[in-house]
Amino acid sequence: MNQGDALPTLADKPVIERVATRPVEETYRSPAEWVRKNLFPSPFNSFLTVAFGLFVLLTVRGLLNFVFSEERGWDAVRTNLRLIFTHAYPEEQYVRVWVCVGVMVALAGLSLGLFAARGDGVPLRKISNALVAAAVAVAVGVVLREPSVLIGADGEVVRTDDAVVRQSFADAMSDRWGWWLTAAVLAVIALGLRRVPALGDGSLRTIQAFNLAAIALALPVLSAWIYPWGHYAFAEGEFIAEPGRTVAISTKLPWTVMWVLAVASLLVGRWVRSRIGEQSLSRLRIAVNLVWLAVPFVLYWVVLRDPDLDWARITQVDVPLALAFGVAGGIVLWWLTSDGIGELGRIAALALLGLAAFNWLAAFMGWYPMLQKVRISFLLLAVVALLAHNFSGETQKRRRLLAAWLAIMAVFHYFATIMNTPSTVETPTEALIGGFAVTLVVAVFTLMLSFPLGVLLALARTSRLPIFRVMATSYIEVVRGVPLITILIFFVVILPLFLPANMEISLFASATLGYTLFSAAYLAENVRGGLQSIRRGQYEASDAVGLSTSLRTTFVILPQALRASIPPLVGQVIATFKETSLLAIIGVFDILRMANSVIPAQTQFLGIKREGLLFVSLVYWVFAYTLSKWSQRLERRLGVGER
Amino acid sequence: MNRRIAYRLGGVLVALALLGAACGSDDGDEDVADEPAATTEAEAEAEATDATEVELTQAGDDLLGTVLARGELKCGVSGAAVAFSETQPDGSQTGFDADYCRAVAAAIFGDAEAVEFTPLTAAERFTAVQTGAVDVLMRNTTWTQGRDTEVGMDFGPTTYYDGQQLMARASDGFSSSSTVADIGGAIVCTNSGTTTEQNIADAADAAGVSIQLNTFEDFDIVTTNFIEGACNIVTTDGSALVGRKANQQPDGEEWVIFPPTPISKEPLGPTYGQNQSRFADVVNWTVYATIIADEKGITSSNVDSMLSGGSLDAEAVRLLGGDGELQSAMGLSADAFYQVISQVGNYDEIYSRHLNPVGLTREGSANAGWLDGGLIYAPPAR
Repeated sequence: MNQGDALPTLADKPVIERVATRPVEETYRSPAEWVRKNLFPSPFNSFLTVAFGLFVLLTVRGLLNFVFSEERGWDAVRTNLRLIFTHAYPEEQYVRVWVCVGVMVALAGLSLGLFAARGDGVPLRKISNALVAAAVAVAVGVVLREPSVLIGADGEVVRTDDAVVRQSFADAMSDRWGWWLTAAVLAVIALGLRRVPALGDGSLRTIQAFNLAAIALALPVLSAWIYPWGHYAFAEGEFIAEPGRTVAISTKLPWTVMWVLAVASLLVGRWVRSRIGEQSLSRLRIAVNLVWLAVPFVLYWVVLRDPDLDWARITQVDVPLALAFGVAGGIVLWWLTSDGIGELGRIAALALLGLAAFNWLAAFMGWYPMLQKVRISFLLLAVVALLAHNFSGETQKRRRLLAAWLAIMAVFHYFATIMNTPSTVETPTEALIGGFAVTLVVAVFTLMLSFPLGVLLALARTSRLPIFRVMATSYIEVVRGVPLITILIFFVVILPLFLPANMEISLFASATLGYTLFSAAYLAENVRGGLQSIRRGQYEASDAVGLSTSLRTTFVILPQALRASIPPLVGQVIATFKETSLLAIIGVFDILRMANSVIPAQTQFLGIKREGLLFVSLVYWVFAYTLSKWSQRLERRLGVGER
Repeated sequence: MNRRIAYRLGGVLVALALLGAACGSDDGDEDVADEPAATTEAEAEAEATDATEVELTQAGDDLLGTVLARGELKCGVSGAAVAFSETQPDGSQTGFDADYCRAVAAAIFGDAEAVEFTPLTAAERFTAVQTGAVDVLMRNTTWTQGRDTEVGMDFGPTTYYDGQQLMARASDGFSSSSTVADIGGAIVCTNSGTTTEQNIADAADAAGVSIQLNTFEDFDIVTTNFIEGACNIVTTDGSALVGRKANQQPDGEEWVIFPPTPISKEPLGPTYGQNQSRFADVVNWTVYATIIADEKGITSSNVDSMLSGGSLDAEAVRLLGGDGELQSAMGLSADAFYQVISQVGNYDEIYSRHLNPVGLTREGSANAGWLDGGLIYAPPAR
């Protein structure tokens, strides 16, 4: 994913300059001319335009009538916003959720600032056109919508069923003055933008994409201060229809903070980028990427879960254990990287691997007891030992390996301790979070786990060693031949029955495992496509400069292959994100299940399901569309398809 | 170049370590189980295993002991069943089933809030009991022979006698005394994949009428179709029909529920894994305690005054932890059922709190007390 650091020179200059110097303005056409040329060029095309236009209008009319009907139970969604996004996460601890959102927002802003300092310029004319289109759409919508309220003789609202009774058309139009006003305001802003004088040298009447995004995001945040979008009126077991106790009232402050954070971190990123040199910038980018890797773990396990640390055990068992592995492993690695160790080093590393494997076997068979942490630590040591020969020789390299080893031990032992510590956050249900939060958590962890697995599988499948090739191929073909829901049900329903009696696996963990194995097979095929696009000359050139197989793969082949496979990889990311809705079927209370089963079962909102489903689709769409746009940017930045 | 190699490898390895940590957590509580802190690794490991094994043998034998040691009852509910277990906007569980979870927790721990609710789908509920993910199911589960024997469940006393009924519009000529024989030619709708489909087909056959049966994925869709006129009659469990009628009947229309005697028997009650006698006794007698308290008019609001006023008979005194109490013999504290009544309430209180608002009343139904001609009955506490 984070290919920016792999290609520091490509990342900024050439592409952005190309974008900026692209001709901004096309030859101007009058609207009438445009319509004639594009919509009614020939009788047959005119017919198509009219037919499809009618179809679209009817669809939009139906949707508008549905959304704005007085009958709609939007209160069910507004009241249940917390349920939809985090399920039963306790209100008094909710600040933790906001901290998580804040960290992600700040990190995103910082990355944007560091990786793409300016962003593309968006011509004001383009914005103006978009605003005109929006104004027209609102106006057309107002006219299209059926009246939905019957006003009785005494001026009271009598009936709210749009299908049965209608007001006069004129009444309905005048009733919607707020929408007319909206359309008018949009149009005025659009015309105003056209009159902005040319700035500076007069060539660029543009606004930076980030500034535009900041303004666009400020609008919904500001609107929360004016209109209570969320109607959270549930307290002490009672629904209260009391204005003032609403979600928007209680979340408008956090959202404003989030907006400020986003803008501030973007500015900080830009400032830092402008102040430091090329080399430290590239180091900083690597650091930010590593933070991105660690952030999901920290946010979920430390911030959201708030582990109840047992300090006595930590000082007496955990810390000594980590230190022992750090020091003893360090000594072993130092020895393994010493000069002239030769084949002995490899044999020692293999022996370590054998010991690590034997520990697992012994634990599984119950021959002798060993903490799980110890077993994993041995495994990690064996893996690092296998790589040690790359670092032999210079003292500096050996020191770096030692530092890396100590960091690995610290990180691993820290997280293993945190994860095995019970949470202090008390929720009334078994799961810590649910709703959209669980969708995000499962999607993010699935991607983080399946990406390395997928790359390894792809490499194995294209390997020259038959055993790897056969294993990878059969794995990929088996997994791709089985429907995802089957794999999920297997992992969630059947796997727990096969586990030893003292072993529990949580629903999330088993679902994430299922998703990961499935997604990895597809990712592997995407990456393999990229690998096969690498020309033979690249391999030959790498051999010619004397790179070993692992160096060649890491620094020559994979960066190019991954870059070539960005479009399908992002497609897979979006697919995985959306496939998390299958969680609803296997009994996880994700966002879909909230809308589909939980809210319609509340006595107050019995049977109100369509509104929730519409809202859920909107949430999914917003995220998937953002990802898709982001991938387009990434493709442009890395120049995919431009060579 | 070397530096970059080192950074990169470092990054990859840190990521690997994170992944290892993540995988480690999948395997559950091995590390948590070993509480005794030791000075050396080896000792820690040895002790850890000993502790785990001891706990395991206990757990294997006695669920009640496990629950007591854990300090929390894991209760499987639906989370999406109107009036039985609803998830409220703040994530809390309310309803008849949820309150019985709280009652059992009150009996075991003296704290009605010592419950961890696990919302379960119908498909996964029995697996959840078998794997020990939940201790007890309060998930409107019908007591059947197959589930009692083949599936390996045990059932507690029925807390709610449900049964399949039909609902139609009064304007179509139906009344609450209509029978299945009156529905000939009607379009009957129900949700697919449940026994309701089979039951109504059998009942129509038995009555000698032909119907058109339409099935939909779930009952929300069935109700929408009924409201829009695509169905003449809908059928499912009576409790669900009453809830729908109370909440979704449009103004100016009247829906009626019939026949008076349901066409199927759906006794709902607590469900737990088989061969756990001590735990089963606790669950069963918690339910009985609420029923006995209802019989004797002991409620959460008057239990204290009745106890101190001495107006209770010997059975009630025993049940609430006075002389001759039997709760200690069950492995509970003597005042276990006093806690149930004072924190959660008696049967009638639990019933009225959740089922009256959706239009389900006890009078005249099978859920009336046995003295009022219903089936709600408890063995004597002596």
